[in-house]
Amino acid sequence: MPRELEVVSPRAGLMRAFLSGWAALVYLFLFVPIGLLVAFSFNANKYGTFPFTGWTTHWYGQVFGDYQIKDALTTTLRVAIFVTIISTIVGTAAAFPLVRSKLPFRSGVRVGMTLPIMIPGLLIGVSLLVFLTNVFHLQLSVWTAIVGQSVYTTPFVLLIVAARLQGFDQSLERAASDLGANTFNRLRYVVLPLIAPAVFAGALFAFTLSLDEFIITLFLIGGSNTLPLYIYTQVKFGITPEVNALATLLLLASLVLIVLAFVLPVAARRLRLAVRARRVAS
Amino acid sequence: MSDTGVTASVPPSPGGRKAARGLSLGWAGQYGGFLPAIVLFGVFFAAPLGLIVAYSFWQVVDYNVVHDWTLDNYRYFFSVSTYAKTFWATIWVSVAATALTIVIAFPFAYWLVRYVPKRLQKLFLVLVILPFWTSYLLRVYAWLNILGPEGAINRFLQWIGLTSQPVSFFLYDRPAVILVLAYLYFPFAALTLYASLERFDWDQFKAAMDLGATPFTAVRKIMLPQIKPGITTSVIFVFIPILGEYLTPQLVGGAKGVMIGNLIANFFVGAQYTRGAAAALLITAVIVVLLVVFRRSLEVRDAYAP
Repeated sequence: MPRELEVVSPRAGLMRAFLSGWAALVYLFLFVPIGLLVAFSFNANKYGTFPFTGWTTHWYGQVFGDYQIKDALTTTLRVAIFVTIISTIVGTAAAFPLVRSKLPFRSGVRVGMTLPIMIPGLLIGVSLLVFLTNVFHLQLSVWTAIVGQSVYTTPFVLLIVAARLQGFDQSLERAASDLGANTFNRLRYVVLPLIAPAVFAGALFAFTLSLDEFIITLFLIGGSNTLPLYIYTQVKFGITPEVNALATLLLLASLVLIVLAFVLPVAARRLRLAVRARRVAS
Repeated sequence: MSDTGVTASVPPSPGGRKAARGLSLGWAGQYGGFLPAIVLFGVFFAAPLGLIVAYSFWQVVDYNVVHDWTLDNYRYFFSVSTYAKTFWATIWVSVAATALTIVIAFPFAYWLVRYVPKRLQKLFLVLVILPFWTSYLLRVYAWLNILGPEGAINRFLQWIGLTSQPVSFFLYDRPAVILVLAYLYFPFAALTLYASLERFDWDQFKAAMDLGATPFTAVRKIMLPQIKPGITTSVIFVFIPILGEYLTPQLVGGAKGVMIGNLIANFFVGAQYTRGAAAALLITAVIVVLLVVFRRSLEVRDAYAP
């Protein structure tokens, strides 16, 4: 339908050309920095920048041989797994009363629960730092970082699951209840399977956010290093080709995660349908 | 999750009230789900935040925080001209970066809705969000390759003979910070603007032009007033996080591109907790005021749902 507009204005063709050019520039703007990063990771130049002096995979070898990177990766994954577990449970549990209860000041509570997203992560980091070390005299560790990150990631899970629950047809639950299902069974066999995609999406979101989290972790993790912290300290000393290689690997990893996020739910549904079909057939 | 907005349109079934009672849970069943969240947010978010509020009104005497209520920390912040300047610079850098983001994103969203066939629009959108899913730190870092003393721009300028020495104008100053922030927040703006433009009724646009309006008049008088809520939402979603930025000014801004986030961090690293608390609360106050004023624009139920 919008296409018909072209007839109206004689300058429409010009407009269209201009806007298409603009869009092309936008995509260049988005991808050239990342593309250069990847290109430099294969550049033999030991300063990790222009000019290109030759093709090498040497820097990748260095990344895989670097025990500091290995340590940082282990810490990052450990933190991310715990953060994902905590925020998925807490966020999903809170989504139910937020959407379903006759809560007074519901929008106020909603705003309050999403506040950790809206205020600077820096503030979460420093306030927890002062609170945990000055009031409770706790040692900073991986666990303080996990708690800090969870404060930040849980609202995302909450929002995603709440959005799903809002579009949820409660008559399904009533039907289950009429057929004799108790609260637990209703939850287990009706509600959870239906909101599972949202819970999965929330968990994945929390996981990626945690992998990438920098500022809260910086203040709370104490002596350990996560990958973002490691990269940050390297970058402060100047660009190194090793970091370019590591960055390329991380980009690849997040690409795989995105693809999984889109493919896994579909695949799971197909598998379930196939299993059910076979059960019905036999 | 495209089915989020439909709840309101489902008419209550005749037996709805009764059936709902059939599902009713006790008080604990209804509110119990909040318990873990109350523990997490109460102990590890609200309480520390409360402490920071208190700290900002307390004093440090001999390296100990004394519970004497005072406004000295705030007064101190504005009495040091570097700090006050940084505060205002943070506001204008955020305004400039937000403006640049919207200026880049609006024609793009317009192009996407109007000229791209419907079935391809999703694909083009995914391409926009793709960089957003990759590491934030790496996206900032990627710009060092371009803006740095040995970066693409400098190399290019030397190659065409404009300069013989690398110029540092592109890095370690505010323009670089604004550019990189626009790069980082572009997906937010593009998504929200796309969402509101997609709902726009193009027939009205056509009608305006039939009646003799130029495309620009039609955009200004017909389209902009209707998509204003979408523009407000994208402005808020870009502006607020930028106010608290730390990493971008730290990496590409250098000494000249400092924003208030860096000041706050420095205060806390230097164990000047009460002064840091005051600085942090100043910027938080700005954010909270914005949130309250624009709370309507923030009711985007499915903004984060993929």
